Amino acid sequence: MKVAEKVEPVIKENEVDWDKCLAAYYEKPKSSLTWSGLDVKEVYTPEDLPPEKYKDVGDPGQYPFTRGIHRNMFRGRYWTRREVIGMGSPQDTHDRSKVLVDEGGSGLNTIADVPYEMGLDADHPWAENEVGLTGVCITNMYDMETMTADIPLDKVSWSLITASTVAAVTMAQYAAVAKKRGYDLKKLRGTVQNDPVHFRYCGFRPACPLDLSVKMGADVMEFCTKEMPLWYYTTINLYDLREQGVTAPQEVAFGFLIARLYIDEMIHRGHKVDDFAQRFAFYVSCHIDIFEEVSKIRAARRIWAKLMKEHYGTQKLSSQQFRFAVHTAGCSLVPQQPLNNIVRIAYQALAAVLGGVQSLHCCSYDEPVCLPTENGHTQALRTQQILAYETGVTNVADPLGGSYYIEKLTDKLEKEIYKVMEEVENMGGMAEAIRSEWLDRIFEKEALSRQKELDNRDKILVGVNMFTTEQETTTPLGVQRIAKASVKKQIEMVKKLKKERNQTLWKEKILALKAAAERRENVITYMIEATEAGATTGEMMGAVRLAFGYPYDPIEIIEAPF
Amino acid sequence: MSKSKIQESKNRKIKVLVSKVGLDGHERGAKVVCNLLKEAGMEVVYLGLYQMPKDVIDAAIDEDADVIGPSFLSGEHLVYTPLIVEEMKKAGLDDVLLVVGGVIPPEDIPTLKKMGVDEVFSAGSLTERIVTYIRNNVRR
Repeated sequence: MKVAEKVEPVIKENEVDWDKCLAAYYEKPKSSLTWSGLDVKEVYTPEDLPPEKYKDVGDPGQYPFTRGIHRNMFRGRYWTRREVIGMGSPQDTHDRSKVLVDEGGSGLNTIADVPYEMGLDADHPWAENEVGLTGVCITNMYDMETMTADIPLDKVSWSLITASTVAAVTMAQYAAVAKKRGYDLKKLRGTVQNDPVHFRYCGFRPACPLDLSVKMGADVMEFCTKEMPLWYYTTINLYDLREQGVTAPQEVAFGFLIARLYIDEMIHRGHKVDDFAQRFAFYVSCHIDIFEEVSKIRAARRIWAKLMKEHYGTQKLSSQQFRFAVHTAGCSLVPQQPLNNIVRIAYQALAAVLGGVQSLHCCSYDEPVCLPTENGHTQALRTQQILAYETGVTNVADPLGGSYYIEKLTDKLEKEIYKVMEEVENMGGMAEAIRSEWLDRIFEKEALSRQKELDNRDKILVGVNMFTTEQETTTPLGVQRIAKASVKKQIEMVKKLKKERNQTLWKEKILALKAAAERRENVITYMIEATEAGATTGEMMGAVRLAFGYPYDPIEIIEAPF
Repeated sequence: MSKSKIQESKNRKIKVLVSKVGLDGHERGAKVVCNLLKEAGMEVVYLGLYQMPKDVIDAAIDEDADVIGPSFLSGEHLVYTPLIVEEMKKAGLDDVLLVVGGVIPPEDIPTLKKMGVDEVFSAGSLTERIVTYIRNNVRR
């Protein structure tokens, strides 16, 4: 055998701080609190889980669904593996969607950019610089046709992420295109995010006044209940609330209270809760504390079931089931040592799956740097696939159920969630908490606390306040850039459409929409017709805004063209 | 700078103007930074959302800010930073520190500095680093 040549070690013995190594050997965790600051015991025993307690837990698929909404969970079907996609022009977004389906994605998930969510057309003076930077801008039917071209709408489940009041426009544009291509709306599967109330906290306040948010949200729900019965017409967005920096119990409590605003509006319009509640869905965050996140999800399921049964008196089990998608926590990711994010995301995805998730988006590792590159996107999908196909987590429903710790922590989260909900109800309910800006103050306070926890090392973030290294100068898999040419072409097309459409028909339809909004009718059907007549996102939103006494343009620099 | 002006600047707090630019609505970070700079003894003005480069610079002049801190999280930093620098030049604010925060690819940091940005603080920056940098580099 050939003797290996002696190689000089790169780090010499005396350059290493061995005392540090010794200290690390004996090191104990500084904190035993959960991420949300809940105190937990050193060990949990049968005393924490008396047998009679199981009645309140129930089997998977059984009320109150603590352990999941299906008895066989993933044996029946994997969770939907769908990565959020939205970049550049509708064509760019369409192309990336196909790449990810080709790589094994099982659902589509496209996200609106900032101008679209704000209700601005691509040719709005403030939009032109920002089209496609964070998502896709659908200004008209043509854009929607381009994004969905040659994709069989009856064979895919499409999640359309438009959260603001503009979700109504998105739904109308999607329905108009589906109709044109000959699909039966009643058979289409998918989701529109449609949670305008929460979106005021994501920088879209001008597009989401409270009254208009509830009105448009409920319009979509009402329309879909009748015309698109397989469609999930809202995804109440707990995730975005969590991203403000709040705790796990606050995330669920605030989300549920917002959900109740829409439910109450639907009841007010004369609908029976059992007729519409089964199409409610939720968008949940999974942060880094695995057990807390699993317990949060289990507690949320139980609270929702009880709320729907005991408070709203629903009879159908499907009305009481908390269905949710998870978005791994973007705010937990950092640009320092970015490959570490892959590991963070994997733990968060594990928590989602252990919690019994229906649909999952894994962030890409480059989330705190740029939009996902194609490689970053594919890698995020691979994280899901490794979890689904390699680890065995799909074998058994609610594998952590019955754990002394998990059941106790679920109870604790449940209690904490109720506590926050009661606090808000005592101040006059969610509408009041929003109007009085109490919720704004909570978000600001909590976000500040999160940063101080990092500054003081009360929470450890590897690469940020421990095990730090020199600042990176490059991103491992490159940086996603937006193709300016394709966006420019899109803007040109919008301008052309506005010149060349049948002006008489367009005007008739846009004025009909405005009149319907003035009569406080459901506007979705009018929006579909206006879309078919060439009306644009900004025009349709503007018509409804005017009818509700708001300026045509949320940025207040352009005037109504009608 | 005249002698009396130097004396005045030594006595007064460092004044920082933080703003969002364009349509980007991610303001959690900007607000946190504002609060932390205040706690560090600086005077902070937060302009809020939907400001255009000229709005930011006009406010910086009105407020007599020593530091301008735009926050970008939607990939719009390469669009608006040159416009901010241009407005600063037009207004003769060459003694005002320009620090940019947000989601910025490391590849873009040299580009931004070449444009005229003094420092970039990406997500995950600890407060101490931001405060120390401003204290050590403020030009007036």
